[in-house]
Amino acid sequence: MADNDYENRVVEIYRQYYLDVYRFLICFTGNQNDAEDLTQEVFIRVLNNFKNFHSGSSSVKTWIFSIAKHIAIDHFRKKRFSAIFTDGFFKQLASTEKEPNDLVEQNEIKKMVHTAISGLKPSFRAVVILRAINEFSIKETAEVLNCSESKVKVDYHRALKILKCKLDIGAEEVIENAN
Amino acid sequence: MQTDKALINQIKETYSMEPRPDFVLNTELELRKAARKMKRKRTFKLISLTSSGFILSFLAILWIFSFNGKETIENTLSSFVENNPLSVVKNSEPLVYIYHSHNQESFISETKTKDPNNEPYHPTRNISLVGNRFSQALKERNISSVHDTSDTMGILQDRGLSYDQSYSVSRESLEESLKNNPTIEMIFDIHRDSNEKNGTTAKINGEDFARIAFVVFRSNVKDEDSLKFAQHLHKIVEGKYPGLSRGVLVKTDPNTQNTYNQDLKNQSVLLEIGGVENTLEEEYRTADALAEVVEELLKYQK
Repeated sequence: MADNDYENRVVEIYRQYYLDVYRFLICFTGNQNDAEDLTQEVFIRVLNNFKNFHSGSSSVKTWIFSIAKHIAIDHFRKKRFSAIFTDGFFKQLASTEKEPNDLVEQNEIKKMVHTAISGLKPSFRAVVILRAINEFSIKETAEVLNCSESKVKVDYHRALKILKCKLDIGAEEVIENAN
Repeated sequence: MQTDKALINQIKETYSMEPRPDFVLNTELELRKAARKMKRKRTFKLISLTSSGFILSFLAILWIFSFNGKETIENTLSSFVENNPLSVVKNSEPLVYIYHSHNQESFISETKTKDPNNEPYHPTRNISLVGNRFSQALKERNISSVHDTSDTMGILQDRGLSYDQSYSVSRESLEESLKNNPTIEMIFDIHRDSNEKNGTTAKINGEDFARIAFVVFRSNVKDEDSLKFAQHLHKIVEGKYPGLSRGVLVKTDPNTQNTYNQDLKNQSVLLEIGGVENTLEEEYRTADALAEVVEELLKYQK
């Protein structure tokens, strides 16, 4: 592969997948700045390792997302015990919303959803985002997460169940508080 | 209980699902920059790899060549040594001392004198040229020698000494040389005779050679060894160049204590090479032949 072709090929891949990768990472981190930084990191890694990638073993798509998953989990571990994680999320929300009264409840719900998702363990979080947001098939998700398809199914349902539980309770709390 | 779909929509609404457009563009630019940097790095790597490869192979070739060259030399050396049990080849230390007590002895062909009664002498075109040729011929045979080219007769005149004293003068540098070069085994004092041409010339294989006389002085302490040495040389000359040698002349002079410097080494001899009427060409032929003879003797002795 000639060097210019290499550059163009990587850029082409970037254009094709940046949105999906970004969406995966924003859901995972809940912070736009982090998501953008990590998206860039993912594609730099793609660039550096593309010559070692053999399309035989997996598709480009699942390969890129396995990189994204690694980076997201690394990021999660780094931020695990730091308050910056959630602080960043709320600051960001606060700065984008100039909250008129009718948006307050909406904002409360967003807060709850994020708290619920960030409460999931990383592997559950990844399954939920890949299946629900990125609309990956079970097979693709299994490839990205490097596990069996049945595990994907089971994990996905468990994760959704947890989220539903949390959000139902959360919603009730909001209503109770409102009352 | 929410449905799955409602939950998913709620998640989607929670996050800003579109990255900022300037981020998208910036990242693409970053990627291109990184790709070019990588390309430059790779090109540099490639260039340095190839160039170091070239340098390495060049060095290897150089090494192989020089090694082979050395090996060739060593092969020649060892084969030479094998063929001849003589180690003079490697010996850069002088084995032979050449000097001229009457260094200005010359030839009619060089001085252009017509007077037959006036023996030719010359400050530069003299017997020392023959000694020089002899030294060169030995060197070609890898035998190192010391050739004393000091103007003994000039020194005699400067000091106001008589002609008889020339052996004492030449002895000074001889003793000095022996001290500095303990490896010296043979000493040749080369003269030219005053005889006429027919006595001093031999025709061998159609070429004229100046004939050699080996002169040993009986007065010296080591005369027996010196005599044997001269006889050895004479025999070898006879074998290789029949007629070239005039033989070993033993001079007995009980009245004089002069040893003609032959007391300093066992193998000392005075050579008379040719006469006044011989040409340098004839002298040189003999000098070359003599070098061959010395080499032969050294081989015989080892």
